[in-house]
Amino acid sequence: MGSELILILVVVAGFSFDFTNGFHDTANAMATSIATGALKPKVAVILSACLNFAGAFISISVAATIAKGIVNPKVLAGGDGLELVLAALIGAMTWNLITWYFTIPSSSSHALIGGVIGATIVATASSEINWHNLVQTVIVPAVLSPFIAGGVAALGTYLAYRLIRRLGQREARTGYRYGQIFSASLVSLAHGTNDAQKTMGVISLALIAHGDISAVHFSVPLWVKLGCALSIALGTASGGWRIINTMGNRITNVESPQGFAAESSSAAVILASSYYGYPLSTTQVVSGGVLGAGLGKNVDSVHWNVIGQMLSAWILTMPGAGALGGLAWAIADIFGAHANVGAIVICALAAAGAFGLWTLAQRNKVTADDLDRTNVSPVEEAELAGVPPAVAAA
Amino acid sequence: MAILASELINWSALWKIVVAALVGGVGVVVVFGVLLYGVKIANDAKSGGREWAGYALAGVCGLICVAAIVVGIYAMAEKPSSKKPAPKKTAAALIAPSFRPSS
Repeated sequence: MGSELILILVVVAGFSFDFTNGFHDTANAMATSIATGALKPKVAVILSACLNFAGAFISISVAATIAKGIVNPKVLAGGDGLELVLAALIGAMTWNLITWYFTIPSSSSHALIGGVIGATIVATASSEINWHNLVQTVIVPAVLSPFIAGGVAALGTYLAYRLIRRLGQREARTGYRYGQIFSASLVSLAHGTNDAQKTMGVISLALIAHGDISAVHFSVPLWVKLGCALSIALGTASGGWRIINTMGNRITNVESPQGFAAESSSAAVILASSYYGYPLSTTQVVSGGVLGAGLGKNVDSVHWNVIGQMLSAWILTMPGAGALGGLAWAIADIFGAHANVGAIVICALAAAGAFGLWTLAQRNKVTADDLDRTNVSPVEEAELAGVPPAVAAA
Repeated sequence: MAILASELINWSALWKIVVAALVGGVGVVVVFGVLLYGVKIANDAKSGGREWAGYALAGVCGLICVAAIVVGIYAMAEKPSSKKPAPKKTAAALIAPSFRPSS
């Protein structure tokens, strides 16, 4: 009975993590489209939710096992595997909520890897972690990805503004607004494909550890696929306005050509890295893309204090989620043989923490209406960007 | 230092990503800009020929943009991990090589 209860808690925690992943990462795809007025905020998140749902079913690949090559899978599939996965999910989810409260875009994938590593170290030993693979497959790509996306977006933005001089402000800005809808949609689809599958892997691993599905003929059950797709879609549809505000308005004042360049560059980097088997964080790629789009137009338009906060959060994500995952394991471990009691206690604490953060966030709430810029016409956008009225109306 | 960097950075994947990102990212931004330019030529045209030329330019660029989206969706669906043959779907496949027993 105990292990059945823990399995149920792992599944609920998995779907909850996917929900936080959805609303945390809506900004990756839709922040720039909302910031430039290409889409109404609620329309944007519903479109993104549908594409995230569809994206979860696009790839026929076996769902990636969590922290593959970093944590010894024997530990995760072993006797304490269920409790360990639960602690890891709670650590990752709580970190996602903390960064959401502080309005900082951070990587949900890194949080999940951090949670697994933290719980594994506390539960077993650091020898079960392959540190070389961690640096090679997570840390190095994390450092490189913002530079790649940023460089491409900066060049794209520079060329877009060169073209605008020949096009006229009104046509160009209107056109790039339409283009943004497609580029942002592609990022949403890619996000659904990559991120929903990670949680499918987590839940499948729990089912293997519990003996419900065979590791020999490994396949993800349909209800897991549907549950993960639905959770990430619902999370996306719920908004995540705090992080959308940071990504769309606080890094730099995004205009439609910049938004299109940032999203196209991000989509190209994410899809190329996924195809060539070099996994990059969607959040870091898009943040780099938005930063690059700012630099491509005007270095002074970038708000470096926000970049500094984001960099700090990125550096802290794995240790922070790891510490929370390890703490969750340590609390559950206090109950020793009564593993189900320990599992219930850490879930209750996580739920209380989530409610506390949500309550605190209500004090300085960001709503969809605060972010709606569809009433700003392309001509007004040009004027706000400092283009003389006569030229802006051309 | 250089040896360490070459060990930790997968250069073969990285340069392909950079090239694909430049072609896909910058290329689409430029082609979409030319599409808008084609529409502008058509709208401003004073002769039928120039109008058709503008629409033709916009049409070709539109097709290139659609092709880029199709390639993107293909990359999502056909990523290398989806090409794993059946024998790898075993318990051993879940264990990374670095953790497998050496014997």
